[in-house]
Amino acid sequence: MIDTQQQSAGRPVSWVSLNKLTKIPGLQWLLLIIPSAYIVFLMFFSMIDLFKLSIFDTNGFTLKYLAHLFAEPVYLQVLWLTLKIAFLVTLTTLLIAYPVAYLMVKIESKAWKNFIFTAVLIPFWISLLVRTFAWTVLLQEQGIINKTLMTVGLIHVPIPLLYNTAGVIIGMTHVLLPYMVLSLYSVMEGIDQRLVQAAEGMGARPRKAFMQIFLPLSLPGMLSGSLLVFILGLGYFITPAILGGSKNMMISMLIQNNVSTTLNWHLASALALVLFVITLLLLFLSYFIIRNHSVLKEMS
Amino acid sequence: MLKKIALTFMGMALAVSLTACGGSNQASNPQSDQGSNEVKPAAQTAGVSKELVVMDWGGAISEAHKKAIFEPFEKANHVKITLVSPTDYGKFKAMVQSGNVGVDVVNVDSDFVIRGAAQNLLEKLDYSVINKDGILKDLVNDYGIGAELFSTAIAYNTDKFPAGSHPKNWTEFWDVKKFPGPRSLWKYPTGTLEAALLADGVKPEELYPLDVDRAFASLDKIKKDVKVWWNAGAQPPQLLANGEVVLAEAWNGRISTAKKEGAPEEVEFNQALIMGDSWVIPKGTPNKDLAMKFIAFAVAPEQQAAFSSNIDYAPVNQKALDLLPDKVKENLGQSADKAKNQIVVNIKWWVENFDTINERFEQWLLK
Repeated sequence: MIDTQQQSAGRPVSWVSLNKLTKIPGLQWLLLIIPSAYIVFLMFFSMIDLFKLSIFDTNGFTLKYLAHLFAEPVYLQVLWLTLKIAFLVTLTTLLIAYPVAYLMVKIESKAWKNFIFTAVLIPFWISLLVRTFAWTVLLQEQGIINKTLMTVGLIHVPIPLLYNTAGVIIGMTHVLLPYMVLSLYSVMEGIDQRLVQAAEGMGARPRKAFMQIFLPLSLPGMLSGSLLVFILGLGYFITPAILGGSKNMMISMLIQNNVSTTLNWHLASALALVLFVITLLLLFLSYFIIRNHSVLKEMS
Repeated sequence: MLKKIALTFMGMALAVSLTACGGSNQASNPQSDQGSNEVKPAAQTAGVSKELVVMDWGGAISEAHKKAIFEPFEKANHVKITLVSPTDYGKFKAMVQSGNVGVDVVNVDSDFVIRGAAQNLLEKLDYSVINKDGILKDLVNDYGIGAELFSTAIAYNTDKFPAGSHPKNWTEFWDVKKFPGPRSLWKYPTGTLEAALLADGVKPEELYPLDVDRAFASLDKIKKDVKVWWNAGAQPPQLLANGEVVLAEAWNGRISTAKKEGAPEEVEFNQALIMGDSWVIPKGTPNKDLAMKFIAFAVAPEQQAAFSSNIDYAPVNQKALDLLPDKVKENLGQSADKAKNQIVVNIKWWVENFDTINERFEQWLLK
């Protein structure tokens, strides 16, 4: 994505030739069909066998497992908790990542830019498990965060940051932040800064120029980043398992439990199917909400 | 520049997806020791003719297995043992069902012996090769035999409860007035429900069949004082060491390892709940005969005693106790006075009831 934008901005010649290529009738469709067929092939063939387990057992076709999920309140409750956590994590990553990505686009010094990039990417190198356990050290009652706040005098009693929803959101936000920063950055980098300058030149204050020009233009990045983080968040289980409390059960924890511990693969598959369908529904929903947005229309 | 960044990013994303897989693999097994994933004992340079693949839980247990069982077996039989860790039932089932069995012997929770046999995943053991004399009766089964014992016991912080002032049974563990402070319990019904019933005054010999309603009523009483529901064995020693909780339900070996490293914690063996691991053979392994020989070797008194000298988990072979010094038996909770106050968990009952109770337990946690 970054690469294409680079070409469109820097090397108009290749852009034009690519444009010409897509004008050839038939080829245009092939360019669309080949990758989609590839994705469908990868998705379906790996998943068909899995989802078959949710509606077929040794006695043939059955809706027993799916019905069980909707009959036992625990599963719906866990599903709701999963959606809630994924949503809250998406929101916090967006709020934290936006200024960071904006700074990366705005900053002039190459050295600083590289420094911020490294700082964002370093977590990628470290094992998820190590990072999660590191948070248990930082967030505990005698941990550095509570100790510092108490020394400064902001609080007198340690705040419970671990083994509750706050802990899960902090841990997951840390893990998923790079995805959001990079999605935002890739879009922001392609925004023509002269548009903002033009707005300011015509009398808009910097704040107004940002709100009316830059922010709407960065919307595709916010959207792709949010979808990425939200969907990744739905499937998490290590971080909530270690940082969460008894009330922070995620659907993936139940799936894993049924695959590896109780060996009830039918139920695990039914859970996976429900999670999959809900993810698809949410994707379609977000598509419907944004399909009439002018910037996104322009993009497509 | 941007091209470079994009390339680096893709490389990193790939690396992440790999590490994430490794991470999930480890965390997917609550009983696995974090740390070493694979220990491959050095093969003997000469005379190695056969290979045996063993799967166990990894970490400290693997190290103890290696010293006490794998290495002597390799020497005695000119076999090279390859170890795969941790045990993964999902992988086990997939392996047998696909007919592509790459593991010959597996160390499992003893309830898996019954569950695995019911799903037709296990080979029947040959008791003309394996000598079951002295093995704890509950852990001798057509399809599996005990490997080692562990106690799910009361563990406490010794700074908080110095010299004998700690809770000595589950009733006292439940008593938050006399023994104040946050607690940690296992996020797993097996063992935890027994503890709840013992706390409520049920006599050990009258535990089974478990009065499930009464167990949940008892858990209700302590719920608000349970700060952490742990799901990895490494958690309770850590929670006790940093003072996050003062009392925890924990596996004895984990606590004694932490204690050896200087952590202020100790295990109370009274009313500890004994559970066992077992050796099983996946159905369809090409090395069945050698696997039988391996199991026969692993449960023999000498190897069992050597194992328990290396790690604080008790032998399943009672004859091994005669070979161990009193000091070791004390640490294992197997000295005469400590052994008689422990309770063996009834695996058969749990196999029949686990699924429904587990669902209820999860529901209860969310309330």
